[in-house]
Amino acid sequence: MSVPRGAVHAKWIVGKVIGTKMQKTAKVRVTRLVVDPYLLKFFNKRKTYFAHDPLQQCVVGDIVLLKALPERRSKHVKHELAEIVFKVGNVIDPITGKPCAGTRFLENLSDSENLTEADTTYLSEKLQELKVCSTDK
Amino acid sequence: MPMKGRFPVRRTLQYLSQGDVIFKSSVKVMTVNYNSAGELSEGARKFVFFNIPQIQYKNPWVQIMLFRNMTPSPFLRFYLDNGEQVLVDVEDKTNREITEHIKKILGKSKETLEKEERERRKLSHPATFGPKKYHLRECICEVEGQIPCPAVVPLPKEMRGKYKAAVKDEA
Repeated sequence: MSVPRGAVHAKWIVGKVIGTKMQKTAKVRVTRLVVDPYLLKFFNKRKTYFAHDPLQQCVVGDIVLLKALPERRSKHVKHELAEIVFKVGNVIDPITGKPCAGTRFLENLSDSENLTEADTTYLSEKLQELKVCSTDK
Repeated sequence: MPMKGRFPVRRTLQYLSQGDVIFKSSVKVMTVNYNSAGELSEGARKFVFFNIPQIQYKNPWVQIMLFRNMTPSPFLRFYLDNGEQVLVDVEDKTNREITEHIKKILGKSKETLEKEERERRKLSHPATFGPKKYHLRECICEVEGQIPCPAVVPLPKEMRGKYKAAVKDEA
């Protein structure tokens, strides 16, 4: 499939979903680093693409991978959703496979058996304070 | 332009052209996830600060996206033309190690680069004359040791067509 695919120069692109108000179509913003000719510094240049999303599974804020369609689907839609790389609010760290948010893993929060040492010392300190209050009375 | 900012050497053409990572034509997108704090992400941060401009300058058609503080561990991800994805863990690596690694796995080898260089040289013949875009020189008057341009210095009488035609007519 080397010749047929390519109504468009960009075959694979990664972007952020900015709108899902259209039926089965996601509006995706793609940023590329472009060098300013005088400053010789790279700045993000944005471009919006429309992608076909048949199951309407994109939410605003997702990071998605788009694949170019072999021929244009409509006047503006030339790409389709290949994969959601990072789902907003539900980011999975690809190296460990665990859900995470920012720089923390979310997995351990609900389990009480997996408390870290810092957590246990903090909790025991709090318990100590409570004990002192009760003996005073 | 004055050299403003931290490490303004990053914004010089010499520094940018020194980048030696040239990706294979199948690499389309490069994604870097890193964190603003933490020892493990230090190499990734230096990589983004120093090496990403060099890579983007040498590969203008590769889309590079940077994501900060999305996951606890820093990594690089490449999306190739055949749908393949390459995940590179860069936790606890220096920026030099990262560049060497990606050069080894996804960079064009030295032989390929030399071959391309030879192909490019073959296309342009240095002994031809024409527009500056395609040839080295436009006219032989530009070469040292040859007759200077008649627009600047008039040709001697004996070389001018006017004189030669007059002599022929006389004879």
